[in-house]
Amino acid sequence: MTDRSAARAPERAPATGSVRRIRMPQKLRNLELGLLIVACVINAGAIVLVQLGALGRIDTQLVLLGAGLSVLVFGLHVAMRFVARDADPFLLPIATVLNGLGIAMIYRIDIAYGDAGWESAAVRQIVWSVIAIVAALATILLIRNHRTLFRYTYLSGLIAIVLLLLPLVPGLGQTRGGARVWIGIGDLVTFQPGEIAKIALAVFFAGYLVRNRDSLSMVGRTFLGMRFPRGRDLGPLLVVWALSMAVIVFQRDLGTALLYFGLFLVMLYVATSRLSWVVLGLSMFFAGAIIASQTLDYVNGRFQNWLNAFDPAVYDAQGGSFQLVQGLFGLANGGLIGTGLGQGRPDLTPVPQSDYIIASLGEELGLAGLFAILALYVLFVARGFRIGFAGQDDFGKLLGVGLSFVVALQVFIVVGGVTRVIPLTGLTTPFLAAGGSSLVANWIIVALLLRLSDTVRNHPRLVIDG
Amino acid sequence: MSELTLLVLQLGFLLLLWVFVFAIVYSLRSDLFGQRVRKLQPDAAAASAGPAPAASATAPTSAVSKPAPPPAAGGGDATSDNASRLVITSGAKSGAEFPLGRDEITIGRSSDSAIIIRDDYTSTHHARLMLWNGRWMIQDLDSTNGTFLNGSRVTVPMPIPLGATVKVGATTFELRR
Repeated sequence: MTDRSAARAPERAPATGSVRRIRMPQKLRNLELGLLIVACVINAGAIVLVQLGALGRIDTQLVLLGAGLSVLVFGLHVAMRFVARDADPFLLPIATVLNGLGIAMIYRIDIAYGDAGWESAAVRQIVWSVIAIVAALATILLIRNHRTLFRYTYLSGLIAIVLLLLPLVPGLGQTRGGARVWIGIGDLVTFQPGEIAKIALAVFFAGYLVRNRDSLSMVGRTFLGMRFPRGRDLGPLLVVWALSMAVIVFQRDLGTALLYFGLFLVMLYVATSRLSWVVLGLSMFFAGAIIASQTLDYVNGRFQNWLNAFDPAVYDAQGGSFQLVQGLFGLANGGLIGTGLGQGRPDLTPVPQSDYIIASLGEELGLAGLFAILALYVLFVARGFRIGFAGQDDFGKLLGVGLSFVVALQVFIVVGGVTRVIPLTGLTTPFLAAGGSSLVANWIIVALLLRLSDTVRNHPRLVIDG
Repeated sequence: MSELTLLVLQLGFLLLLWVFVFAIVYSLRSDLFGQRVRKLQPDAAAASAGPAPAASATAPTSAVSKPAPPPAAGGGDATSDNASRLVITSGAKSGAEFPLGRDEITIGRSSDSAIIIRDDYTSTHHARLMLWNGRWMIQDLDSTNGTFLNGSRVTVPMPIPLGATVKVGATTFELRR
């Protein structure tokens, strides 16, 4: 209970003056503080271990930079003591540990490459983390109730479309690694607007589905034991499908397309509780993906690398499975407990600090470490779902589920790609991978989930078990 | 730095990571979402604190507020000005109070209701209380067993008089000052 209700209490209580305001100890925030301290110890420990393993000595400069980051996280924590006291206590520590492990691993790759100063990806990652945490703080301070977002449903839909189209604008967009998903001026400041677009899309889908789900769920014909929607209600699904196909064709980005489409399908399923939408949507997506794999070279290449990764011809080919197989060798080299931070050779794999950071971490921390990281993701996503399900309003429910599912799906696509479960697509691992836009987007997701959980808990409830 | 030291440090680091994971899992155990219940009887408060420790994490300690004088029978309609709480008068949680704000209050078996009643007679979304032109109204949401206001079944939204008995399943409650 917070001050808000405590402030209301005197009106109810008889005006005898005997009812004293009792300040509740902030149990949730204190729990968060404890976990945050452990999180910062883990982060500092990771950097120190990297230095001991790779350099053989301790360099205080980067430890200090990392400490600056911890100060900022504690700043966020203190701010929440005032503006979001009942927010979930686990999201912030989990995000902090993942972010810190990412920085430590990127720093380790920097040492292997011999990068230092502003060349160093780790320093840039720390700067981006600062920006991201400040963005999260701003989100918590600005959005005092998630229902305000409901008013901007269609505006956020428009923002999402604009952000998606930005990289296609000549002069502004940039192509890297085959995918045209970047904007930037020269090489100086680059940004992936699609990362922010996924938040805007989640808000839009949630608002749109709350308004229109009745027509999507109530009517239709039963076929094969499932109620299928009417043809005229297929519009939204077709639009999102066309959007993802456009992302595949024009931006040449398989992972992002899968992410947006999966997000929409799951939110549609949660909103209507009809399996037929999922069946329809998945068959449409797979049909599209199979056609794309036959007609588009780069998609076909991805499928070849996945199916015949160990074929020497595919391994040696330009854009072949070299990276994938190196990543697998790295994971194998790590074994059960890993080579130790700073003592493996993750730098042998191309882009070990962004797309392949999971393989790098798997090599140096081993199966034990990798599973700890995956467990943290599971806890994060489970908390998000829990916040979503506990919500009293439908918009909050859909938003909570959508935002946490985005994180879950992204982890699945990346880890599945690296471990050769699904074809490899270039997506960032949330919080871990080097990349500013992804960090900012994911920290904003953390902020939104925190805000959501605070609103949910602040709602008075009474449970009567008969 | 010898290899053995590094190995020990690495194992220690992995252990720390897992300690962190299990610390979260351990705290989650007791972190079911808090249930906010204001109690009139201290013994009822003690009874609920036992089975639901999570409630105490977020529930107000102001539960020991004084029992208000009984309401004047036959008072006018409950409005946002003269009604401040909903009191359960019979059923499993008899005596429990629920603060009336300005938001509508949903009653039902589903966990997204504001007042969750889990018994065999209550529908998933059973009824709701809402403010209509400043007056508290009760609306039945097509429940199976019906909602009763002063013994008669609610078919259209009706204003609730202060102190009138509203019955949902096996639970009755009334609005008080």
